[in-house]
Amino acid sequence: MVHNVSYLGFIPLLPLAGALILGLMYLATCQGKQISERLYGILGCIGPVLSFFMALRVFFSLRGLPEQERFLSHVAYTWFSTGELDIPMGFLADPLSAIMLLFVTFVGSLIHIYSIGYMKGDARYGKFFAYLNLFLGSMLILVLGDGPVVMFVGWEGVGLCSYLLIGFWSDDRSNVMAGNKAFIVNRIGDLGFVLGMGFLFWGIGADGFDYLSLKANAQNLTAPVGLVVCLLLFVGATGKSAQIPLYVWLPDAMAGPTPVSALIHAATMVTAGVYMVARFSFLYAHVPAAGEIVAWIGMLTALLAAIFGMYQDDIKKILAYSTVSQLGYMFAGVGVAAYSAGIFHVFTHAFFKALLFLAAGSVIIALHHEQNIWKMGGLRSKLPTTYKTMLIGGLALAGCPPFAGFFSKDEILYSALASGHVLIWMIGVVVAGMTAYYTFRMIFVVFHGTPRDQEAFDHAHESPKVMTVPLVILAIGSVFAGFYNLPAIFGGHQKFSHWLAPSLVEHHPHGGVGLEILAVAASVVAFVIGVSIAYRKFSVPVAEPVYKGFNKFGYHKFYVDELYHTVIVRPYQFIGKAISRAIEPFVIDAPVQASGWLYRMFGLAFKVFQAGYVKVYAIYMVIGLSVLSLLVSQSLN
Amino acid sequence: MINNYLALSIVLFCLGILGVVSRRNVFVVFMAIELMLNAANLGFVAVSRLHVNMDGHVLALMVMAVAAAEAALALAVIILLHKHKGNLDTNIFSLLKG
Repeated sequence: MVHNVSYLGFIPLLPLAGALILGLMYLATCQGKQISERLYGILGCIGPVLSFFMALRVFFSLRGLPEQERFLSHVAYTWFSTGELDIPMGFLADPLSAIMLLFVTFVGSLIHIYSIGYMKGDARYGKFFAYLNLFLGSMLILVLGDGPVVMFVGWEGVGLCSYLLIGFWSDDRSNVMAGNKAFIVNRIGDLGFVLGMGFLFWGIGADGFDYLSLKANAQNLTAPVGLVVCLLLFVGATGKSAQIPLYVWLPDAMAGPTPVSALIHAATMVTAGVYMVARFSFLYAHVPAAGEIVAWIGMLTALLAAIFGMYQDDIKKILAYSTVSQLGYMFAGVGVAAYSAGIFHVFTHAFFKALLFLAAGSVIIALHHEQNIWKMGGLRSKLPTTYKTMLIGGLALAGCPPFAGFFSKDEILYSALASGHVLIWMIGVVVAGMTAYYTFRMIFVVFHGTPRDQEAFDHAHESPKVMTVPLVILAIGSVFAGFYNLPAIFGGHQKFSHWLAPSLVEHHPHGGVGLEILAVAASVVAFVIGVSIAYRKFSVPVAEPVYKGFNKFGYHKFYVDELYHTVIVRPYQFIGKAISRAIEPFVIDAPVQASGWLYRMFGLAFKVFQAGYVKVYAIYMVIGLSVLSLLVSQSLN
Repeated sequence: MINNYLALSIVLFCLGILGVVSRRNVFVVFMAIELMLNAANLGFVAVSRLHVNMDGHVLALMVMAVAAAEAALALAVIILLHKHKGNLDTNIFSLLKG
């Protein structure tokens, strides 16, 4: 039973309209009179905030329906139809997309509000909000689309916006390069998504290509095709959600303004891959092998990113690797068929990661765009609100009970353990410890100890209210979001999993209370060990360390970027150059030049008739008219 | 009878063409064009008489009106041409040469 509600289309439309209006305003005024920042800020926030309220309405209307009827849909118009294929611009809100909608619009709105303060004084203030709105609108299309094709529109939209926003400060060449990198790496993933979509259509697309029809026909998909589809779609997810081997763009994406990082990492973009896998749970449920690969890639990414995170100097890069690592957890979750656990981690992660990024942004602004943690220190006294909120975010990220991250991470680890993936669980616990370590390494170095740069410290001051209020709201979310899915062992009812049940195809493993206690205990022990090591090393004033041996290897991120550069980029450039020198002049340029030459010769041949004298034209006219009248008189006879 | 009129009309028309093609002064070319128009008028009127209806007359009047308008325009153009080059030889206006 699907209910039709027409306001669904407005949810993505509002930010998109905002983007259009702001963009036109900016275009019209970028060279002349400036529009005040206040106007831009207010207009920029209207769309997301209204979308949030509509998302709330969607959520509550779904709640009012019986469990198996929780599907709202709206077809705005037929997008295109060719032959048998009929693709509508349709939107579907079910429990899964409603949850995504809620936190995407909520966190997105807060980030928009925060940006009012963060971007103050930027010359391209209006453009920034236009892009930000476009980003959010694309994400909402992605989440709300009722089939893979509409999802792909949003999928490409967020890719485009990430490119625009990462390279936002385009005066610096390295920022532009980072934007390019994000775009190109994502393109590789997108190819996988398109191919996967093609195979899916080939397999079971004939009877409708929206989620509900696909779900109904999923069992008709043969196993090999199913595996291919799942893996190709996962390639798309590795691009968008920064998993091995396509994670390299995300740390570089830190080149963008901090609110953008928060938006990319928390609410939009990177969660798309996890959402997509959960959305296609009806496929993955039929192909356990694909899930196995997803889980392993996820957990290995989590491990690798955690290792890199332990050596970073840049406060935003630490957070970036923590995101990659947490995304790894989410994929491990959806890989072991615990889709609701994965989505729950997406949900809690949105709060604490947005919080951490925005708090880091507050630190960065206070120190006038200093991002190196080894130039900070002792900021606790100068930035009390930022410190407190960041500490809460850090505790949530590190998985300290009872903060949000603990419950969601524990749910994933428990699911891995209960479904028999003991090795994945063990790596997960180790990564949890490493997460606690690098999170608190960052917090101790930045906020504790003594100032390393006295002058910057003296000038530091707490951010304005428009920035700190979103921090506080997100901090509250980071504390309490976890209780939404309280497992039975803590006296809860797993409301979140039950809520998602109509959208997902999953069976909850029953490992027993013993396993649950084991999982919780291991997580807590890992957290305590991680934090205490960080405390031992960094609570006292320390200078910037010099890395040797394996540490140096880790500091340079295992030279993966350099490896990619040598193995992929360089040969590619070489082939490109070879083609441009050896093939292009002869195969492509030559025919083009020849056709130009041909027309030139043609023109030269006829040029002689254009004498330029009036009487010559008069003669042509007489001859022409004579011939014409002759012909006419002939035909009349 | 009609043949004489038509013959005169054709002769006048051919003279007009000859004038347009062979003369170099813009004024003379213009007058040759007027000659052609009037040759055509003669033909219209003659044929109209033959068929005993007024169609040809109407057309002849129309051609006269057009000729008057054309004369007004052409004379203005000729003045401008003269201002531009100080000479009315058609051969010096050859901007369209390919």
